[in-house]
Amino acid sequence: MLHNWLPFLIYGGFALAIPASMIVASFVFAQRPAKRTRARAIPFESGVSRGGLPPQRFTISFYLTAMLFIVFDIEIVFLYPLAVVLHQLAWFGFLELLFFVAILVVAYVYVWRKGAFEWQ
Amino acid sequence: MTEPWWISLIKAFLIINLVMLAFAYTTLLERKLLGRMQLRYGPNRAGPYGSLQPIADLIKLIRKESFFPSSAIDLPYIVAPVISMFTALAAFSVIPFGAGWHLWHWHVDGEIANVSIALIVVFALGSLGIYGFIIGGWASESKYSLLGSMRTCAQLVSYEVSLALSVLGVVLMAGSLSLVDIVHKQGTTIPYAAPQVIGLLCFFVAGIAETNRAPFDLPEADTELVAGYHTEYSGMRWGLFQTAEYINMITLSALMVTLFFAGWHGPYAPLGPLWFFLKLLAVVSIFIWLKATLPRLRYDQLMRFGWKVLLPVATLNAVVTAALVVAF
Repeated sequence: MLHNWLPFLIYGGFALAIPASMIVASFVFAQRPAKRTRARAIPFESGVSRGGLPPQRFTISFYLTAMLFIVFDIEIVFLYPLAVVLHQLAWFGFLELLFFVAILVVAYVYVWRKGAFEWQ
Repeated sequence: MTEPWWISLIKAFLIINLVMLAFAYTTLLERKLLGRMQLRYGPNRAGPYGSLQPIADLIKLIRKESFFPSSAIDLPYIVAPVISMFTALAAFSVIPFGAGWHLWHWHVDGEIANVSIALIVVFALGSLGIYGFIIGGWASESKYSLLGSMRTCAQLVSYEVSLALSVLGVVLMAGSLSLVDIVHKQGTTIPYAAPQVIGLLCFFVAGIAETNRAPFDLPEADTELVAGYHTEYSGMRWGLFQTAEYINMITLSALMVTLFFAGWHGPYAPLGPLWFFLKLLAVVSIFIWLKATLPRLRYDQLMRFGWKVLLPVATLNAVVTAALVVAF
C-alpha cells in the first residue's frame, strides 16, 4: 500500500514549493527603506522602545494545558484503532471502550476538582 | 487500478492551484459578505465588482517592505511561515472531491492520495501547523509575539482534543479512517449529519476555535490585543501566516463536508466536484457569517468552554455512538 503515498509526496513537493517561492519573493521584490535606523529594527513595544527580551516566566496555566493535552490526545489516539474494528469486536470491544473511558473520567474528575481547568 | 505517476503530477499541480485560487477568492468573499452584512459595499474598485482585489492584495503584499527585526533569530524566523503554510496546504491532499473518472483509457482518482489513515493525516498535519505559530512567535524575540504564540498554542491544543473526539462517532459508523471509504459509505446510507448531529456541532465549534475564527479568534483579536504570534512579521511573510489560516479554514470546511455531508455525492455522480464545491461554499459562508454576528469570547471563557463543555459532550457522543453501533 506504500504506492498510495506517492501522490501525497508529489503534492507535498508542490505544497512546499509555493510558500518557499513566496518567501524568496519577499526578499527579491520587497521595497527597502531608504535609511535603516536602529529604531526601525527593534521589536514592537507599543510605543516604548526597549532592548532585548528579559528572561521571563509564564503563567503556569500554559504548562498545565500542554500536559492535559498530551494526556487526552494520547487517549484519543488509542481510541481511533478501536473505533475502526469495533464492528468485529462487538460487545467485548464496547466493554473495553467503557473501561478505558471510565479510567479517563476518573482522571478528568480529579483534574477538574483540582482546578486545572480554571484559567488564572 | 492505480493511476500512473504523471497523472498524479498533473492533478496535484491543478488541485494545489485551485486551492490557492479558492483561498484568494475566500478573502474576497469574506470582505464582500462582511461588507453587505454591515450595510456597505466591500471592495469594489479593482476590476468589475472588485473581482481583481485578491491579485491587487498579492502585489501589495509582495511589494511591501519585509521588515526584519534586529533581535529575530534568522532561520526559524524565516522558516516558521513556510511550516504553517506547508501543513495547511498538504492537509488538503487526502480529501476526496469526486467519484473518479475514465479519461481515454486511463483512470483518474477523485482524490489526490487515497491512503487508509487519511483522517489521522489531516489531524497530524494540523498539529504540526502549530509549530509554525510557536516557532514564529519565539524566533521574533518580542514579548508580544511570544505571549501571542503561547496564547495561540494553548487554544489550538485545547480544542484539538475535542475536534478529534467529535469525529470518533463518524469513524465508528463508517468503520474506516479512509475519507474515501467514509464518503462511499455515506453514499450508500445517509449523510452522517443526521445521526451525528451532536458530533457535527462539536466538530463545528472546535473547528472554529482550531482555525482561529470569530468568536474564538483570540490569537489575533485585532480590536483588543496586539496581533499575536505574527506581530513582528510584515509583507509576504505575514501574508503566508494569513494564507495558512484561510487554507486551514477551507480544509476544515472540506473535512466537514466529507465527514458529515456525504462529500461529493449529489444527483449526478460525474459532476461530483461541483456538489463538493457548492457544499464547501455553503460551509465557508457560515464561517464568515459567524464572524459578522458573534462577539469575541474572553480567554478564560474560551478555555473553560473547551475543557468543561466540549470535551465531555464529545466523549459522551462517542460512547453512545459506540453502544448503538454495536447494538444494531
